[in-house]
Amino acid sequence: MRIVLLLVFFISSLFAQESEYTLGQGIKIPQTPLYLGGYISTDYAYFPEQKENRLRIDDIALLAYGRTGKLSYLAEFEYKEFYTKTWGDTKYHEDNTHLLTERVFASYLLDENYRLQVGKFNVPIGFWNLTPINVLRETSSSPLSNSILFPRFITGINLEYKHYSEYELKINILMQENKDLDRKYNNFEIDALYGLGVEYGTHDISLRLDGGYFHLREPLLDEREIYYGLASLKVQKERYEIMAELGTQFSKERTLVPYAGYLQGVYRLTEKHHLISRLESYKQYRSLNASATKDTIAILAYTYRPLYPIALKAEYQFHSLAEQDGVIFSFSVLF
Amino acid sequence: MRFFSLFWIFTLTLFGDEYLLVVNKNTPIESLNTLQVKSIFLKKQTMLNELLLVPINLSPFDEVRLSFETKVLEMSHAKLKSYWVQQHYQGQRPPINLGSFESVLAFVKKIDGAIGYIPATLFDPSFKQVYSWEQ
Repeated sequence: MRIVLLLVFFISSLFAQESEYTLGQGIKIPQTPLYLGGYISTDYAYFPEQKENRLRIDDIALLAYGRTGKLSYLAEFEYKEFYTKTWGDTKYHEDNTHLLTERVFASYLLDENYRLQVGKFNVPIGFWNLTPINVLRETSSSPLSNSILFPRFITGINLEYKHYSEYELKINILMQENKDLDRKYNNFEIDALYGLGVEYGTHDISLRLDGGYFHLREPLLDEREIYYGLASLKVQKERYEIMAELGTQFSKERTLVPYAGYLQGVYRLTEKHHLISRLESYKQYRSLNASATKDTIAILAYTYRPLYPIALKAEYQFHSLAEQDGVIFSFSVLF
Repeated sequence: MRFFSLFWIFTLTLFGDEYLLVVNKNTPIESLNTLQVKSIFLKKQTMLNELLLVPINLSPFDEVRLSFETKVLEMSHAKLKSYWVQQHYQGQRPPINLGSFESVLAFVKKIDGAIGYIPATLFDPSFKQVYSWEQ
């Protein structure tokens, strides 16, 4: 707790020196090329079937980044699930005061088309995974497909090709051949990943295909060598946005996730008030001798942003597995 | 000459104010299409022909900047603000802001790779025009 207070005091003193500070865009540390920012998110969830209430201070994160010529760099450290308390039928309380390395990477522009990124970062697969924090998402929750198909983080290399002319073309080649940095933090504990992603975009429509392989440190359904595939679509208009992702995961012997995907629509009533609906569905084998778990989830949500970097969200989740229905409220800020 | 001036005034009246994106003579860019301009001002493309690009904006609520945002970038000021908040998480900064066309021209003249917008009436041949739009 003392660490957090010291952190808050340090950041506050820096912000106090900044006369032209804009919320959500960080601050520049004087006499350095370094910018500092961070984010906080909290949520409250209620699951009526389980009569369970959960209150969390989910993320407290600090990020620092900068650029010198063709070289840019970023480091992000975070307290994940800093405080969790549940009450109702199950009573539980946990504090996590271990500071984690969420991202730390350097990126170098080789020329106008090629960029090399080295370190730990959000793996560029699909669209959702690149804006994974609460305040940047439209809903408090993330689709399940984002956590069951592929590792969310890579500790390795991303060679990116970009081309802009009459259209936008992006290709990502991903490589990891080592353990994860802060490995408990990744949704899959891996020691290898090879992936390819191709994205094509016009003014407001983007299409992306990803495929690859990763190697698990602990077997999943007796399998360590896992393959994934994902197709993604994003349509961005001034008033509305549509996003969809559909993927699969398999090994040489069996299919682990036959399908997992979502379709999300966002309608901006005004700059501050957004309505969101999302339909998710997945089928996943969780043990060798049981049939697959299937669930279809409908989510209705409302987000209020008094300023864009501040989000107050409410969502209700209807699950076909009825005991998992729930309501989530969250508050998040990016500074 | 008088005929030419009258013709120019007539054209401006007929088609509205024209604005230009300009670079200095050392910057190896001849022309850009709308998607390229968009990629530069959204900092998706930060290098062109081996040169680091420095896009320049006017102050946030300047009329010409708003015209550039809506007509060329095809994004509202609010949408752009949300875009730059998202980019802050990715470690990217928005283009620098300058307070006047004179400052934009002075900056572009001095810095290779700098690119800014000015009214066509302020254009002089010591610069290169790489894109234009009408208000």
